Amino acid sequence: MSAQLLSGGAARRERVASGRLHRPETIAGYVFILPTVALFALFVGYPIVRAVYISLTSWSGFGDPVFTGLENYARMAADPVARAAFVRTLVFAAVTTVLQTLLPLGAAVLINSTWKRFGVVARTLLFIPGIVSFVVTGVVWRLVLDPNVGVVNRLLDSIGLETLSRTWLGEAQTALPTIVVVALWQGLGLNMLIFFAGLQGIDPTLYEAAETDGANAWQKFRYVTVPGLQVITTIVVSLNLINGFKAFDLIYVMTQGGPNHASEVMGTLLYGLAFGSTSGSVPQFGYASAMSIVVLLLCTAAVTVQLVLNRRAAR
Amino acid sequence: MPGPTIPATSDGGSAALSRRSLLTLGTVGAATLGSVPLLSSCGSDEGSGGGGKTTVRVWTWYSEQQDEWPRLVSEFEAANPSITIENRVFGTPDQYLPALAAAVSGGDVPEIFAPHVRALTYGEAGISADLNAELGTDFLSDFFQSTIDEYTLDGKQYALGWMAQTFGIFYNPDLMSAAGVDGEPETWDDLIAAAQRINATGKSAVSLSANPGTSGLDFFLPLLAQVSDDPTFYLRLDQLDGVTYTDPVVVQSLELLKKLVDGGVFQPGVNGTSGDQASSLFFTEGAAMNFNGSWAPQNLVQNATPEFVQKYRVMKNPALTPGAQHYTANQAGAGLAVSATSRAKDAALEFIRFLYSPEQYVQTMNNSNSMPSTKSAATEVTNPILKQMTSWLLDGDGVPHIPFGNGSSEAGGPLAGIWDGSAEPSAVAAEMQTAVTNARG
Repeated sequence: MSAQLLSGGAARRERVASGRLHRPETIAGYVFILPTVALFALFVGYPIVRAVYISLTSWSGFGDPVFTGLENYARMAADPVARAAFVRTLVFAAVTTVLQTLLPLGAAVLINSTWKRFGVVARTLLFIPGIVSFVVTGVVWRLVLDPNVGVVNRLLDSIGLETLSRTWLGEAQTALPTIVVVALWQGLGLNMLIFFAGLQGIDPTLYEAAETDGANAWQKFRYVTVPGLQVITTIVVSLNLINGFKAFDLIYVMTQGGPNHASEVMGTLLYGLAFGSTSGSVPQFGYASAMSIVVLLLCTAAVTVQLVLNRRAAR
Repeated sequence: MPGPTIPATSDGGSAALSRRSLLTLGTVGAATLGSVPLLSSCGSDEGSGGGGKTTVRVWTWYSEQQDEWPRLVSEFEAANPSITIENRVFGTPDQYLPALAAAVSGGDVPEIFAPHVRALTYGEAGISADLNAELGTDFLSDFFQSTIDEYTLDGKQYALGWMAQTFGIFYNPDLMSAAGVDGEPETWDDLIAAAQRINATGKSAVSLSANPGTSGLDFFLPLLAQVSDDPTFYLRLDQLDGVTYTDPVVVQSLELLKKLVDGGVFQPGVNGTSGDQASSLFFTEGAAMNFNGSWAPQNLVQNATPEFVQKYRVMKNPALTPGAQHYTANQAGAGLAVSATSRAKDAALEFIRFLYSPEQYVQTMNNSNSMPSTKSAATEVTNPILKQMTSWLLDGDGVPHIPFGNGSSEAGGPLAGIWDGSAEPSAVAAEMQTAVTNARG
């Protein structure tokens, strides 16, 4: 009986692998994924389709939307605040992605080799900020950066660097870079952990072979570690890009996009237009939806790049 | 013929299911999940609770009354056993507004809700009821005119002021005395002179928030009334009704603001200071004064030491010249609207009448250290600070400051250039006009 089952199971696996399933098996497959597909279509697919439609209308959130075609997109292209927010979103995503990939990678490699004896402690310390919510992080850092009583300015003053003290979140030049640093502080631990997990999957004999061939530390990193982490790296990069494109919570809590839009990104701008006070008594859901579609396209592009890179790596 | 079996356990034990059973289970499961929304919508009965009771949902972010709502609800339900009140207090307007927008979009507006700056828009769209028609002019006659005006359009009353808000300068008498400042500054020049004395003691003079930028408008907009001596100036500007931000009155007001900034009146980093930070700078004695609204007394009760709560005082905004009007920001940002279409509208109106009944309203406002919106309740305010601030309304010092107009709040952004000293008043005025026009689309 057992042998029969095993043999039946092997035949089935062969059919699955070859893509040739009996009709009942095909139906069963569809039935099993039906709940997921239905829920996905209801809670993800429909809202996206609806947002695309609303982006082509003028709508205040009630009553019937008035179809205006691509007017919202044209307005976005001509709106200096939206254009600046778009560029800022790209810059924020690019800078956070580069930093949130290279620094965690370096930390993971160090913890896996040089700092091995402190591994658990270092991993824990780096990971702790990642378990704190963005809102709590934003509120705490706002206090740390307080221009009058914040720890950062007090520290600078106490070590004779008072000329560096400033209103970190209140000056146009420093608001967004400061938020990038906070985002890095929070995201470093999780990305480091992903890289660290990836490092455990690299065959140690590859390092031994490299050492036998006389490779130094850099060469082992360049020719063993980096290729071994290629898939992990593309995942981390695409996750960071997506998080960068849809940045909202940390910025909203710390500056609400200010001062005077200096830290405004697409996420905070569209929120203000739809739900906040930017549009006063008349919410601009149509215009805000058009911005959300742009963010969606940016995120889709990031995922597409990741899929292409993963496919290449798989070959 | 039975179909082949799939072992349900790794050892291929007796717990096996036929494919047909699995297909049946899967189909039933999918059908059940898919029908959940249908089932839930079938069970919905708007405005009606179980057992023939009528349900009135109340949505606000008014946490000042968080200890009062349970008492109000319980007393009302005891007197009206056929009505159930479902009260929901959201933490902040940021948490509240998306929920309200979703409810409005879905056509399921709570029976009583805080309309925020959208009271008139919702009223015009038939979402909130005309309370003039529903409650009568006698009911409305007790409200301060400023709290009536902001919710009135074409003779229709789309909300009622719940907590009035008036701004003033809270001050610490000890720090003022230590700096040699005697008495309350009568004019802005007096304030600048006082600030220089206070700054010399190592303290900031006035703590103020401009993060977000709209907070800075609370201070700036009353200056328009002072410079123009016209309490309606901002209303016209808000609606771009024959006035723009490049008007000389706006430029002169910005020049006055710049003079205050250059005179060291405010703490460093106004643009990076949030409301709670400005307040804490005051009650931790880092600043001698704090520009804030009439909700500050309750915040100080909750956050400052009892000794500080006992000693702080409040004064009117200084005036432009001696003897001139001390215009300051006043309206009722916290209001209550009633759904026009709910089947429980009558029950909602009954709860509104209960909330504003003299015995309940006075007690609620006094217990929560909040400023009432009615004249009769104002005479019974017990908190001395609030009593003083309420009297300013009777003096005619209150002027509008809430940016109701489409895009009006965008005017707060360019003010950053004044707060940090990087821009000139005329350039800022032009930038304000551009920002508001741009936001209107």
